[in-house]
Amino acid sequence: MSQFVPADYQPKLPLDRLILTDPPSEERIEMDVLFVGGGPAGLAGAIELAKLVRADNEQDGSLGTVSIGVLEKAGALGEHSLSGAVVNPRALRELFPGLSDADFPFTTAVTKESVYLLSDRSATRVPTPPSMKNHGNYIASICEIVRWLGEKAEGLGVDIFPGFPAEALLTEGDRVLGVRTVATGRDRDGSELSNFMPQADVTAKVTALAEGTRGLLSQAYCEWQNLTGENPQIFALGVKELWELSRPLDQVIHTMGWPLPKNAFGGSFFYPLEPTVGALGLVVGLDAPGRSLDVHELLQALKTHRVFREYLEGGELIEWGAKTIPEGGFYALPPRRSGDGVVMLGDSVGFVDVPSLKGIHYAMQSGIFAARAIFSALKVDDTSGSTLGAYDRMVDASFIKDDLYRTRNVRLAYKDGFYKGSVKAGLMTITGGRMFGNRIDMHRDADVPRDVGEKTDLIPDGKLTVSKVDAVFKSANATRDNIPPHLIAAADVPAEVAEFYTHVCPAGVYEVADDGLRINAPNCVDCKATDVVGPRWMPREGGSGPAYKRM
Amino acid sequence: MKIAVCVKRTPDTETRIKIASDGKSIDEAGVKFVLNPYDEYAVEEALKLKEAAGSGEVVVVSVGAASAQETIRNALAMGADRGVLLKTDAVSLDPLPTAKLLAGELKSGEYDLIFFGKLAIDDYSHAVGAMVAELLGMPAVSSVSDLTVDGSVGTAEREIEGGVEVVEFPLPAAVTAEKGLNEPRYPALRGIMMAKKKPLDVKDVTLPEGGLELVALTLPPQRQEGRIVGEGPDAVPALIDALRNEAKVL
Ligand SMILES: Cc1cc2nc3c(=O)[nH]c(=O)nc-3n(C[C@H](O)[C@H](O)[C@H](O)COP(=O)(O)OP(=O)(O)OC[C@H]3O[C@@H](n4cnc5c(N)ncnc54)[C@H](O)[C@@H]3O)c2cc1C
Repeated sequence: MSQFVPADYQPKLPLDRLILTDPPSEERIEMDVLFVGGGPAGLAGAIELAKLVRADNEQDGSLGTVSIGVLEKAGALGEHSLSGAVVNPRALRELFPGLSDADFPFTTAVTKESVYLLSDRSATRVPTPPSMKNHGNYIASICEIVRWLGEKAEGLGVDIFPGFPAEALLTEGDRVLGVRTVATGRDRDGSELSNFMPQADVTAKVTALAEGTRGLLSQAYCEWQNLTGENPQIFALGVKELWELSRPLDQVIHTMGWPLPKNAFGGSFFYPLEPTVGALGLVVGLDAPGRSLDVHELLQALKTHRVFREYLEGGELIEWGAKTIPEGGFYALPPRRSGDGVVMLGDSVGFVDVPSLKGIHYAMQSGIFAARAIFSALKVDDTSGSTLGAYDRMVDASFIKDDLYRTRNVRLAYKDGFYKGSVKAGLMTITGGRMFGNRIDMHRDADVPRDVGEKTDLIPDGKLTVSKVDAVFKSANATRDNIPPHLIAAADVPAEVAEFYTHVCPAGVYEVADDGLRINAPNCVDCKATDVVGPRWMPREGGSGPAYKRM
Repeated sequence: MKIAVCVKRTPDTETRIKIASDGKSIDEAGVKFVLNPYDEYAVEEALKLKEAAGSGEVVVVSVGAASAQETIRNALAMGADRGVLLKTDAVSLDPLPTAKLLAGELKSGEYDLIFFGKLAIDDYSHAVGAMVAELLGMPAVSSVSDLTVDGSVGTAEREIEGGVEVVEFPLPAAVTAEKGLNEPRYPALRGIMMAKKKPLDVKDVTLPEGGLELVALTLPPQRQEGRIVGEGPDAVPALIDALRNEAKVL
C-alpha cells in the first residue's frame, strides 16, 4: 500500500460515552459555575467571574455566594501546560487593572528578534513579517503563568481541583448539566485496585469548557450539536525543549525551511526564557502528506544546525514536551461557542492566530468575556443559550475576531506547499488580508492522503539529540505502568498506517510489532496529535501524563 | 481511637534541586512541594485504623512555614479530621528541635498511636519519630510495613536486612511507616471540598536551639558517562584495566 487516507482507520468519536443522558448521580457535587481545564482560558474566566461576584456582593449582594470550581486533569496546575511562549500582555492587563507588567509572571521583554530561512548549511536572515513582530510582548513560561493565575483564583475563593479530568458531559435535552470525572485506581484490565476511587458527577448552572487544544468534551459537544465551522479545524504539532544554554541568547529567533520537507507547513521558535535558559520548539502542520514526517525527529535534526548548535552544545536538556495547536483560524471557529448551560473557551474552539503563533491572550480574553456573560446570566437567573450568547457577541466585537479575520487565509494558503504558500501569504499580509481574501477551502487533517515521503535519518547522540524514550523521561511523565489503556485504535491497522502513527506520536507510544500495532499508553504526554489523525485520546486517571515545570 | 499523624512538606522527588546562593539551603523558586511520601502511608494507616475502630479522631500535626497548611489540607482531604500547624519560618535540619515541638503539642492529647513517615525525603534523618517517642516515654516502632492493633496491643512487621522482624508493643506507641504498609488513597473531590472546611489550628512557635549546625549543601556528583570497553571475552583485559586503574575498585 503506497497511499492511504488516515481517516479510513480512525475510530469515530464515541459520543455515547461522551454525552450522557442518564440523570446525574444522587451523590453529585453541585456548583454554580464549573470550568473544565485550568489553563489560561479557564483560570482567567474563573478569576473575572469571582471578581464580578465579589463586586456585586459588596454593592447589593443580590447574587449571594457563587461557587466556582475548576477541574484540571494534571496532578498540579501547570503540569500539562506547554507553550512558547511570547505573550501579548493585553488580556492580563485587562484582568488585573491594578497591576503593572512588572507584576506579571513574565521573565523578559522582547527587545530583539530575527527570522531566518534555513537550508541544511546556511541561514538567511529575512525581514520580520509584520504579523510576527513582537515588540511590546514578553517571554514567559506558561507553567508559571498558570500557577500564578491559580494562586490569584484561589485568593478570590475559586476552588481548584487538580488531578480531576472530566470524561463526559452530563446532559438533559440540549442542556449541559455538568461533567463526570474519571475514576482512579483501576488496573490495566479495568478492575478496581485497593485504592480505587469512583468517578464523581459535578453539576453546575454553567459549564465552561476550557480544555485547550483538541478538547475532548468540546469536540463531543460540537459534534452532538452539529456545530461545524465553514472549514474543518486543522492542527499542528509542536515539540518543545527547554535548554540550559552554553552561552546567553539575547533575542527571539524564528526559523522556516530546513529541515521540513517542502510540502509541510511549519517553523521553529527559540526564545530566551532567561538569558541562559532557552525555549526551543518546532511546530509542523499535521496535514503534511509524507507519512514518515516526524516532528520530534525533525526537531532533533534542527538542533544540529549551527544557528542552534552554538547555544546548545555544552548545555543541557532540562525538559521536553509536546502539544498540538489548532491552526484552522477564523473559518474553523464553530458558528456558536455557547449553548444551554455551556460556553467554550480558548484553544478548545480554536482562538489562535497562526502567523504570530499566539493563543494565550486570546484564550484569556475569551475567558474574561465568558465570565461577563455568565455573570449577567446568573443575575437574571437564566443560563440558556440565548442569554449566554452574549459571550459570542462580545468575542465577535473584539480583537479576537478582528485578529483572526485579518489572517484568515494565511495558514490555508500553505495547503499547497511552502513556496506557493509563502508568496500568497506574503501578499495577504501586505494587503491586510484583502488579496486572496475569499475563503480557501480546507481539508480535515485526517482526510489528506499520506504517501511515502522523506525520512529523517538521525541517530541521537544522547546529548544534543535525544531519542523519544529519553525525551519522554524529560517530560517527567511518571504515569503508572498498569493504568488502563486510554487510546482507542481501529481493530486491524495495516503496517503502513501503524508505522505512520509511530511518526506522528512524539512520545513513542506506538510501535509496529509482528502482530500489528502495539500501544505503550503510559508514555502518552496528552499532546493529542494522533487524536487528530489516528487513535482517539480519552481522559485517564488524574495526574497521569507529563509533569511540566517551566514549559 | 485517637491517632495523631506527624507530616512534613517536602520537595517532590521529581523536582530539579538548585542550591541557594547561601550554599546552605535550596532555592525554592519553581520547586513543587508535596506531602512527604512516607507520611502518606502514615496518614492512610491512621485512617484505616480509625475506620476499622468505627470511631475516633485523626489529627494531623506539622512543623513548618505557613505554606505547610496546604500539606495538612492534603491529609485532611484524604480523610483526617483536623490539623495543627506549629508555625515557624526557621528551617532546621536538626531533628531534635522539631521532635521537641511535636512532643510538646502531642503530650496532653491522649493519643493511642502517633504515626510518622519513616523518614522525610528531604533530610533523610530517620530520627523524629523515635525522638518524639522518647520524649513522651512511649515505645517507638520504626519502619513498619504491616500493622495490626488489637485492643491495647500492637503487632508490627519491620523490614530488616534480609528478612522481617515481628514485634509486639503496648499502646500508646509511636510508629513510623515504611513503603508497602498500605496503598494510600486518592483524595476524592468531595473530600477536597470538605477539607477546606475542617479545622486547622495555626500556632506560632519558636524552634528550640539544636545541637547541629548545617555547614554546606552540595549536589551529588554528575554520573559519569558509560563507556563500552569492548565485546566478548576479548574485552576482559580492558575491563580489568579500567576497573583497576580508573575506577580503582580492584
Ligand atoms: C509549541 C507551542 C508554542 C506556542 N507558543 C505560543 C506563544 O509563543 N504565545 C502564545 O500566546 N501562544 C502560544 N501557543 C498557544 C497557547 O499555548 C495556547 O493558545 C494556550 O495555551 C491556550 O490556552 P487554553 O487555556 O485555551 O488551553 P491550555 O493552555 O491547553 O489549557 C487547557 C487545560 O485544560 C486541561 N484539560 C484538558 N482536557 C481536560 C479535561 N477533560 N478535564 C480536565 N482538564 C482538562 C489541560 O490539562 C490544560 O491544563 C503555543 C502553543 C504551542 C503548543
